[in-house]
Amino acid sequence: MAEVAYVNASRVFPGTPPVRAVDNLELSVADGEFLVLVGPSGSGKSTALRMLAGLEDVDEGAITIGGKDVTNTPPKGRDIAMVFQSYALYPHMTVAENMGFALKLRGVPKAEIREKVAEAARMLDLTRYLDRKPKALSGGQRQRVAMGRAIVREPSVFLMDEPLSNLDAKLRVETRANIAALQQRLGTTTIYVTHDQVEAMTMGHRVAVLKDGILQQCASPRELYDRPANAFVASFIGSPAMNLKTVPLTPEGARLDGLVVPLSRSALDGAAAEGLSEVTFGIRPESLRLAAADEAGMTMTVELVEELGADAYVYGSVRIGEQSERFIVRVDGRTPPALGQQVEVTVRDADEVHLFHPGTGLRLTA
Amino acid sequence: MRTFLARHWYAYAMALPVVVVVGVLVLLPLAQGLYFTFTDINEANIANPALERRASYEFVGLDNYVKVLTRGESYGAFWSTLARTLIWTSGCVLAHYCLGLGLALLLNRPMRFRGLYRVLLILPWAVPPFISVFAWRYLFNSQFGVVNQALDGLGLPTPVWLGQSDLALLSVMVINIWLGVPFMMVTLLGGLQSIPGELYEAAEMDGATAWQRFRDVTLPGLRSVSSTLVLLGVIWTFNLFHVIFLTTGQNPHTRILVTYAFERFFSGGTRDYAVASTYGALILSLLLVFVTIYRRATRRQGEVW
Amino acid sequence: MSVDAAALRSARGETRAAPTAARRGQRSRLASIGLHGALVTASAVAVFPILWVLVTSFKPDTRAVSPTPRLLDESTVDNYVDVLSGARGDFLAWFGNSVTIAGLSTLVGVFVSATTGYAVSRFRFPGRRGLMLTFLVTQMFPFAVLIVPLHNILLALGLLGQPLGLVLVYCTTTVPFCTLMLREHFDAVPTDIDEAGRVDGLSPFGVFWRLVLPLARPGLAVTAFYSFLTAWGEVAFASAFLSVADDSKTLSVGLQVFVQQNRAEWGHLAAASVLVALPAVVVFYLVQRFLVGGLTGGAVKG
Repeated sequence: MAEVAYVNASRVFPGTPPVRAVDNLELSVADGEFLVLVGPSGSGKSTALRMLAGLEDVDEGAITIGGKDVTNTPPKGRDIAMVFQSYALYPHMTVAENMGFALKLRGVPKAEIREKVAEAARMLDLTRYLDRKPKALSGGQRQRVAMGRAIVREPSVFLMDEPLSNLDAKLRVETRANIAALQQRLGTTTIYVTHDQVEAMTMGHRVAVLKDGILQQCASPRELYDRPANAFVASFIGSPAMNLKTVPLTPEGARLDGLVVPLSRSALDGAAAEGLSEVTFGIRPESLRLAAADEAGMTMTVELVEELGADAYVYGSVRIGEQSERFIVRVDGRTPPALGQQVEVTVRDADEVHLFHPGTGLRLTA
Repeated sequence: MRTFLARHWYAYAMALPVVVVVGVLVLLPLAQGLYFTFTDINEANIANPALERRASYEFVGLDNYVKVLTRGESYGAFWSTLARTLIWTSGCVLAHYCLGLGLALLLNRPMRFRGLYRVLLILPWAVPPFISVFAWRYLFNSQFGVVNQALDGLGLPTPVWLGQSDLALLSVMVINIWLGVPFMMVTLLGGLQSIPGELYEAAEMDGATAWQRFRDVTLPGLRSVSSTLVLLGVIWTFNLFHVIFLTTGQNPHTRILVTYAFERFFSGGTRDYAVASTYGALILSLLLVFVTIYRRATRRQGEVW
Repeated sequence: MSVDAAALRSARGETRAAPTAARRGQRSRLASIGLHGALVTASAVAVFPILWVLVTSFKPDTRAVSPTPRLLDESTVDNYVDVLSGARGDFLAWFGNSVTIAGLSTLVGVFVSATTGYAVSRFRFPGRRGLMLTFLVTQMFPFAVLIVPLHNILLALGLLGQPLGLVLVYCTTTVPFCTLMLREHFDAVPTDIDEAGRVDGLSPFGVFWRLVLPLARPGLAVTAFYSFLTAWGEVAFASAFLSVADDSKTLSVGLQVFVQQNRAEWGHLAAASVLVALPAVVVFYLVQRFLVGGLTGGAVKG
């Protein structure tokens, strides 16, 4: 058990110009916490994890595990276990040998290894497969062996690098829950990398969003969803994505076609202080609704309806200024509008509006 | 510097044994051999500890090169030997590649006895070459040889294969082709098996004929392995002396550059190390030129070396 | 789909469904006859000279060469008895020397090629390209012409006449090609495996020894085969660098007794040849299932 901290850690790949894959990362993870690093590909999330594992140099700054500076410690001295995206099972060893390999290297007595492997195998429902080679296992079983290999070692930190991305959708959801439950039970500090924001939201105690090597925001899933720190986090978290449009400001609020969304005083003052005549206006699909007959709304032409059973997502275009912008609205699944129909859309609650600076992307509302 | 060592010492440690051995046993002799080309060293003036004789060879500048390139027959008829070497090399490598590819394509089909064919076809590679050469010398024997007896049986003329004529060159080429095809075949077969089957399926869906699939899927798929094979094949064949030497000895009709170097090296009491080394240096420079051109031509396919 | 299984399959050179197997139906009878006909002919050509040596080895010298050869002609095992009993030289001593020298050359050659191949495959160190280019250049000079300088160096190192000296010389001739080949095999082992090993507590050498080497076994088999054959059949260096005493010769050198005399003793030579070829063929048989794919490894990823 240990807490983990990145202290202004950077990884710079040489080149012209040098690429700052991870740039000044400042992040601490509490003991027993499940932290998810999420971001699009090339965001530096895997590099950050590999720096912690000791597989990637730390060019600037430092990394500590359990308060101990491990910046220059080789992987084997860090007391970590890692689950790889490809699982990286040793193809020439059986499942049991794979799981016990690290213990064997540490000189743990054979009987003890066998006991620990058997226990982990029970936990992961692998007992029947202990004598098989990885080649003879299904994808899900391999994934569990990779987990087992990490568990058996009882490390102070688990590192997981997209461990579910090679599974099919159904198994992924199932395994997601299993991993979260397992982590809960073991109470081991876990850093988990994924590009899938649903995984991030459902698994992490806290989620750190990275982009271009820079930490955008690190917060609980709820906080991340409700109060994204900038337009990138707002667009990245949530599915379908938040509607984010640049709209003109009026003294009353933001103008979207025929709809003027009233904004709080503080937001308007903030925008005025920055001298903005436009803002990046963000609203989640579920915060939009179809307007009643007598309500003001923005006119949307329906282009696509995704029916999901309980809900339906309506995709359509709205004229904002000179341009036609696409919006996504969540509606009741039983009464969706038809294709090509024109509907009036309004905001469910003005408090659910997110405003961002159109230049910097930073959140304007407090 | 310390970080440099800290970062790379493992790589250097792992490569060190080879670097030391190659340095001491290849580069050092190579340098000395190149130095010999500028001297008149031979068996008579070399240092001989057994006879307590000191080296007495002298520096002669470019004399050896001038002699080799201009003196004709007494120095191995360099230019006509070079022409023969080119025929030998291109003929052997071309036949190796074509036959190897043909057999690999046949073997790459699912069929009965596939494993057996494979073992039989690779067998020539497993037998030490001097034994194979000895067998072939018998087969080509003009009186008792199976080849001529077969020709005789068909009522065809029965030439002297390994005699003083260009037939001898043809014969050694046949022998060398027999020896070299298995290696090519095995390597190309490996290459074929690594071409994803989906590519063939896609090509078939696109309506490609068998020939088009071969030209547009198989050949490009083999490109990287082929370019290495041909490069190594040319270098090895150019320098292959034991087949010719063991088959026809010093027959001028089968003389190529490297066998002449050996003739100078081993023949008679004089043992002209200087001229032998000069030939070696010329071979090295010819191959360097070839490799430079070859790599330039194949560069866009990705570097192998 | 996971990397480990796919990599293993390609590393093992396992015959996956051949590309041309994309043809679903049966091939026509004619095509089938053509295919087998071509392969039978090629196999016959490949095997015949070897078969002839085998047949001859059982014939008396006088019968071995005759204007009307017959397959079995007064066949005896006399030739083998003569050769093995040492009537023509200490065959068993030669055999032992060859086994020692070829075996050591294989071990040393494969081991140093493997470490170098691993360094080239996994580390981006300065001089890496230079090393590979040097290897290529070493293949270009008719190395045997260097017998004189090599002789001097071995003498200076005190290795002249020692089996170890010859072993080192053989290694220099095989190492460049073996390194290239093994490097390609190592490239085919996913680096994730290395990293998993390092996280599990292996040193870089441990990763090489316990994970990468076992996974590159087909490549090792092929390089071993190649090194063994090179050392086993070599004549020029062996006659130059080993002492002239009869019992320190290798087989290939010793066998020259049968050829160098004016009348070639075909029967005896054939019997001796069979005895020499036998270990090579055994080694061949042991590694033959690795040969296909083993030579190319991951080199041709497509």
